[in-house]
Amino acid sequence: MKYAQDIAAATQEIFSSMVMLDVTPGEPFKRADSKLVNSISGIIGLTGSTKGMLAIHLPDNVALAITTAFLGMDVDEIDEDVCDAVGELANMLGGSIKATLDPEGSKVQLSMPSAIHGEEYAVDCLADAELVTVPFAFNGQTFMVELQISKAN
Amino acid sequence: MEFAKKIVKTTEEIFNTMIFMEVSADAPLEQGKRALGCHVSAMIGLTGGFSAMLGIHCPETVGLAISGAMLGMEIEEVDADVKDALGEIANMVAGGLKERFAAENIGLELAIPTAISGKSYTIASSPRSNRVIIPFSIEQGQFFIEMKYNLN
Repeated sequence: MKYAQDIAAATQEIFSSMVMLDVTPGEPFKRADSKLVNSISGIIGLTGSTKGMLAIHLPDNVALAITTAFLGMDVDEIDEDVCDAVGELANMLGGSIKATLDPEGSKVQLSMPSAIHGEEYAVDCLADAELVTVPFAFNGQTFMVELQISKAN
Repeated sequence: MEFAKKIVKTTEEIFNTMIFMEVSADAPLEQGKRALGCHVSAMIGLTGGFSAMLGIHCPETVGLAISGAMLGMEIEEVDADVKDALGEIANMVAGGLKERFAAENIGLELAIPTAISGKSYTIASSPRSNRVIIPFSIEQGQFFIEMKYNLN
């Protein structure tokens, strides 16, 4: 699937350099109609020559583990710091993907990130877009990174 | 740049001309995290003169009423039509704001909309960003247009 390798490379790079975690990508798939349970999602928009949305979906316990590693302090509940860290993670992943999609650095821009947290919610792709989701694993935990790219470009 | 005023004008215009619904804006909510009690949302990123994320957040009954009016049919549950309708509204409001800011020589570009739905979720806001939330009333209740932004 197009973009799956870019997502894998960007995610591995950000996790190893910023969160000090080695994450292993799994088989890419198209996530559809699935609900996220006790999770937190970071999303960020892409505009310019490539329009889209990048998302990272983390189960609560994984978000806590990652935030603890990222901020270097113990967090044990999903609070503002965790939401902020997940938004920042989306921002960094967006930056890394942008570097691949737009090597010159002038054609793709990143919007502000946002974090969504809930017990049960869905995040759905609406536009006529190509969607690819890559699962990642570390220490027996899993999370997903997802990219929607508009076909209307 | 009067974000709140632009959001109110744009939203009223979209609802009056595209959805044929009367909406009235209430006072903007105070900055900060707040559970809006919503069950369906659509969000879209903006870049350019400033970087932003715009969202429309609706309780279920309000989301059904708005999408029903927009599509001209009765809708009974939050399905793909409702998510599409709200995504389209987010897109139109963002597009309207883009025009208003363009008139002040502030260029903006739009990403693509995404829908969030579910029994319980909250949308967090970074302490480093500005946030405006405007409640709008229709007969069935309130919905919210939210814009988070950072001036570059």
